[in-house]
Amino acid sequence: MTDSTASPTRFDRVALTGALVTLVGAAVLPFVELRANRLVPGSGHSLAAAGPWAFVVWGVIALAFVSAVGPSAKARSAASTAGAYGLVAAIAWALGAAAEGLLADMSPVARVSVGGGAWVMLVGAAILGFAGAEERSRFVVRRAGPVVLLVVAVAGALVSGGLDRISLAREFAVRQEQFVSLILGHLAITGASLAAGAAIGVPLGLLAARNRRVRGVALAVTGVIETIPSLALLGLLVVPLAALGAAVPWLRDLGVRGIGPAPGFIALALYSLLPVVRNTYVGLTSVDAAAIDAGRGMGMSRRQLLFRVELPLAAPLVMEGLRVAAVLLTGIATLTVFAGARTLGILIFEGLGQFAPDLILLGALPTIALAVIADIGMSALARAVTPRGVRVAVQTPAPTFAEEAAA
Amino acid sequence: MIRLENVTKRFSEKTAVDGLTLEVPEGEVCVLIGPSGCGKTTTLRMVNRLIEPTSGRILVNGRDVMSMRPEELRRGLGYVIQSIGLFPHLTVAENIGVVPRLLGWEKPRIADRARELLSLVGLEPDSYLRAYPRQLSGGEAQRVGVARALAADPPVLLMDEPFGAVDPLNRERLQAEFGRIQRELHKTVVFVTHDIDEAIRLADRVAIMRDGRLQQYDTPENVLNRPANKFVHDFVGADRALKRLVRIKVTEVMRPAPQAAIDDAPEAMRERAGAGRFVYLTDDEGRLAGWLDTDDIRDDAVADAITTVDRLQATVARDASLRDALSRMLGLGFRSIAVTDDEGRIMGEVTFAAIEAVMSEAEEHRGPTADGEGA
Repeated sequence: MTDSTASPTRFDRVALTGALVTLVGAAVLPFVELRANRLVPGSGHSLAAAGPWAFVVWGVIALAFVSAVGPSAKARSAASTAGAYGLVAAIAWALGAAAEGLLADMSPVARVSVGGGAWVMLVGAAILGFAGAEERSRFVVRRAGPVVLLVVAVAGALVSGGLDRISLAREFAVRQEQFVSLILGHLAITGASLAAGAAIGVPLGLLAARNRRVRGVALAVTGVIETIPSLALLGLLVVPLAALGAAVPWLRDLGVRGIGPAPGFIALALYSLLPVVRNTYVGLTSVDAAAIDAGRGMGMSRRQLLFRVELPLAAPLVMEGLRVAAVLLTGIATLTVFAGARTLGILIFEGLGQFAPDLILLGALPTIALAVIADIGMSALARAVTPRGVRVAVQTPAPTFAEEAAA
Repeated sequence: MIRLENVTKRFSEKTAVDGLTLEVPEGEVCVLIGPSGCGKTTTLRMVNRLIEPTSGRILVNGRDVMSMRPEELRRGLGYVIQSIGLFPHLTVAENIGVVPRLLGWEKPRIADRARELLSLVGLEPDSYLRAYPRQLSGGEAQRVGVARALAADPPVLLMDEPFGAVDPLNRERLQAEFGRIQRELHKTVVFVTHDIDEAIRLADRVAIMRDGRLQQYDTPENVLNRPANKFVHDFVGADRALKRLVRIKVTEVMRPAPQAAIDDAPEAMRERAGAGRFVYLTDDEGRLAGWLDTDDIRDDAVADAITTVDRLQATVARDASLRDALSRMLGLGFRSIAVTDDEGRIMGEVTFAAIEAVMSEAEEHRGPTADGEGA
């Protein structure tokens, strides 16, 4: 990507960095750790423990180096892309092979965990993935492609066996049902609070754009909310909600009580307000004043002006606010378990309590994946709501219409 | 027709428009002009109630604007602004269709109207209908802006420095096209500008304003010839005799030109010159090919005394102004220039002396008030 055009640079620095990181991970750090049971510290084993799969991994690392010095930008991009996905798949399969080999003669409670070297190699693969990104210009290929391929690679390794002997997979196997329900719970509380945040935040942003006094209050209050630590906000909500639930029985039946999803839902909705309100406000106030003057002068009512001119032009920024909120809430949702919500945070905090690092990962990795998926999905949505007339100009500034017509 | 009766607008401290009374007859172009802050834009925006007057009445076609719903009033008044304000998320066709849509027209009718208007403003419909505003140049965008204002065929057009942001070359072209469109459509137009040349070129009447008060409201000729006071006199500038030339067509001072066919016999050419020195020579279609200078004829070698010229360079069209003719003559170093009809045939000529006469006439007309106050 450093030389996607006809620049004289002969190698790709980013790809080279990725290849070097991968090499260090593979050569210096333990690839897996073998432990007598899930709680005691273990002993490190190198990539060699994966048997023949080790050679596959080394082969892909060699490809990564080739991708850094390939003959053309296009070839380098193709090689680094293939190298990135190849690495993830090879590491996944090698982990499975190593686990199988090491656990062959051990008691059933023995565990093999993903070692530091494997993690470092995955980071190297990610860097490698960035290397060719500029060349892969299409949005789907650049943003969604890597995620889909990653999921396919890991799922493939899981299904075909091998990886199921890894400690992380064992934790998953034990908690399979709970895991699925927690992911659903995580999605539910995040989605519901985001919807509530949008339902309150967008009109509030609209009022802020219309009225200076509302703007001052709305931006200040949502800004202050954002500075309250999550646990403190949850704690602040528990007591009044408990009192409210106790006082009004039908609210209690709806789920309003001190411990449960209610405080988490409210806290998350409050956190979503700042990005939503601010982006709605900025989106509406950045609409060209001339377009508004012309619209009024042509006889649009305020309502028509809002729905036909202002909102369509502000939509991309509003969606951008929702995207930021979605990513933010996905992470904070893990903390709502302290007020009784059922999210992936349960796995993380149970893992912390038991000193079981693989259980922590079982909660943390899906949370990260959800955040990334939310990011990509909302970006795609933001693009979808960007009016074509605004997009054409921003994306392709070069040919003016006159030139096109002349051609 | 538009009538302003004793209209005043105060913004907290400042009085923007002060007791303004003005009548724009139907089908005429009224240009509001004055230094910035004189209240011309405020006046324009009070007509469609984007700004509401503090006191006084504004009537459009006999109806008090304050008695109408603002949206309804505005849909009947075409509105063009300097920054154009096309909607970037809508195509050119959709932009033009905004007011018709508000009025509930059928879709096919809106589409036909967009086509018709693009042709009217000189843009090829098939290349522009589906374009987006950000793909247009400044001049193209302003043409679309004018088309959009005309979409629902409003009897009145309000134009706020519509050509102010366009480069000088395009501005002149847009002014000429606006003149052509106006001759065709006969809208009642209120036009704000700070460019006195633009005002003189386009106006049926010029309203010169200063500090919210009307200084003079008259035809361009009278504003130039008889400025009402020193402010107007200074505002139109010292070169107002020259400016006046913009208002006069070459055909008004044209005189018959001696001409002969270029393949005529030398004696015939000489005879055509009569007492004059020059004869225009034409090709077989009556278009200028060159001329003969009888003073240059030595020893009957007529061919040496003939100058052939590029006829497009050395003539002016019948709808050109005296100012166009004068600048062409100065540029070429001529003392006279041929005027041609639509087919390029010579209709007559305009001489430097004739233009000079018009200019000195203008000087004689300098109003006594101007001299009195200016002294």
